[in-house]
Amino acid sequence: MTELERELFEDQLISIAKGMDYPNTPNIAGSVMTRLRASMPPRFISRPLAWSLTIILILFSSLMLIPPARAAIIEFIQIGIVRIFPRSTETPIDVIQTTSPSSITPETATPSLPSSTLIPSLSRIAGKTTLADAQQKVDYSLLLPTYPPDLGPPDYVFVQDAEGIMTILVWLDPHQPEQVMMSLHFVPEGSWGIEKSKPRVIEETTVNGQRAIWAVGPYPLRLRNGDMDFTRLIEGNVLIWADGSITYRLETNQTLEEAIKIAESLEPIH
Amino acid sequence: MDEPTLIRHAANGDASAWEPLVLAHQEAVFRLAYLLLGDPDDAEDTAQETFLRAWNHLKRFDQTRPLRPWLLSIAANLARNRRRSAGRYLAALTRAFRNEPSPASVEEKSAQTMEANDLWNAVQSLNLPDQQIVYLRYFLELSVNETAEVLQIAEGTVKSRLSRALEKLRVIIQQEFPVFADKRERHEA
Repeated sequence: MTELERELFEDQLISIAKGMDYPNTPNIAGSVMTRLRASMPPRFISRPLAWSLTIILILFSSLMLIPPARAAIIEFIQIGIVRIFPRSTETPIDVIQTTSPSSITPETATPSLPSSTLIPSLSRIAGKTTLADAQQKVDYSLLLPTYPPDLGPPDYVFVQDAEGIMTILVWLDPHQPEQVMMSLHFVPEGSWGIEKSKPRVIEETTVNGQRAIWAVGPYPLRLRNGDMDFTRLIEGNVLIWADGSITYRLETNQTLEEAIKIAESLEPIH
Repeated sequence: MDEPTLIRHAANGDASAWEPLVLAHQEAVFRLAYLLLGDPDDAEDTAQETFLRAWNHLKRFDQTRPLRPWLLSIAANLARNRRRSAGRYLAALTRAFRNEPSPASVEEKSAQTMEANDLWNAVQSLNLPDQQIVYLRYFLELSVNETAEVLQIAEGTVKSRLSRALEKLRVIIQQEFPVFADKRERHEA
């Protein structure tokens, strides 16, 4: 075959091959993409979006390490059954609120007090009892601070039914016996949720290695049970931590360091 | 997005970038598979497998090169393997019964289509490497350069292999398709 003959033959082949009756091309792309997506791990977001979200998450995590920023970002901080609302628009109060008011017996709470009354008369608090009797009534161990060494036993003990049996230990100021120096609340699991609104400062710390929250007052505390209110005992600060099923609230006018020392010195009653 | 951009995105795992590339090349891949296998179902399976394999090996693909020759190369290899498989003979028999044309349908076919079918039958008498090069160059109308890319051989080798394949094809046509040969000679005259 000469070069010319070959070229003519090639042209003829191309021309004839154009008349080839191919079957219609099936939807290969559809089948391929279906098989491809079925074999791929679930991926709900695109890669650029995933990167963006990762960066946002890193920034968010960094901000969460800064207490004021954290307080500004999140709606509440939960520790044990205590839920703190740093940005509440309501009057800045700490609230213990029942989740089922009808099940609470009125006599376990005190009547509502005027909002200006921050420190109520201890005689108006329901459930006054002795330490020994309180320990009989609750199914958890009551603990007493061994720090400061000269603290001694509580001056008042209250046991209140708040869906769980809550115990409140009260120490009076020896120099001002009409004033409460410190109170320690034992709030078992299942009790009313304690909701604290807008404390001035919230600081994260630890008690015996457990996460704890330090909320700085002064701000009024009110335990609310429907139309029954219970104001806080101290115009001071609160250290909150949880251990097992018990949430502890230590109200004190001491510093954070002192409060932690007190909290870490708790020991069962002998 | 142009093809290199789509390839880059797909190589980074973006399946949505792979879809338009499949759409762009599915016809060529399917047709080559059909020419080599002669069965539309086999051709479809081969074409799907081609695009899935290409996706899996996209990171190793030189993104500066055109995609189509690479896809056709994968398709040709897969079709060759499929022809060798044990089930191939049975599939061919099934196809022969299923596709046997009725006299009416033969009449309805255009003369050009009949001629193309004769040519296809003639090419099928060649050995597989020669078939591949004829299909790529004359049926899919790839350039010598693209054909070389698909077969991963030098352009000079493509030309020499084409020359030998054409000689064989001419002999086959003269011996087994005399009517087609007569037409060709009249055309040359």
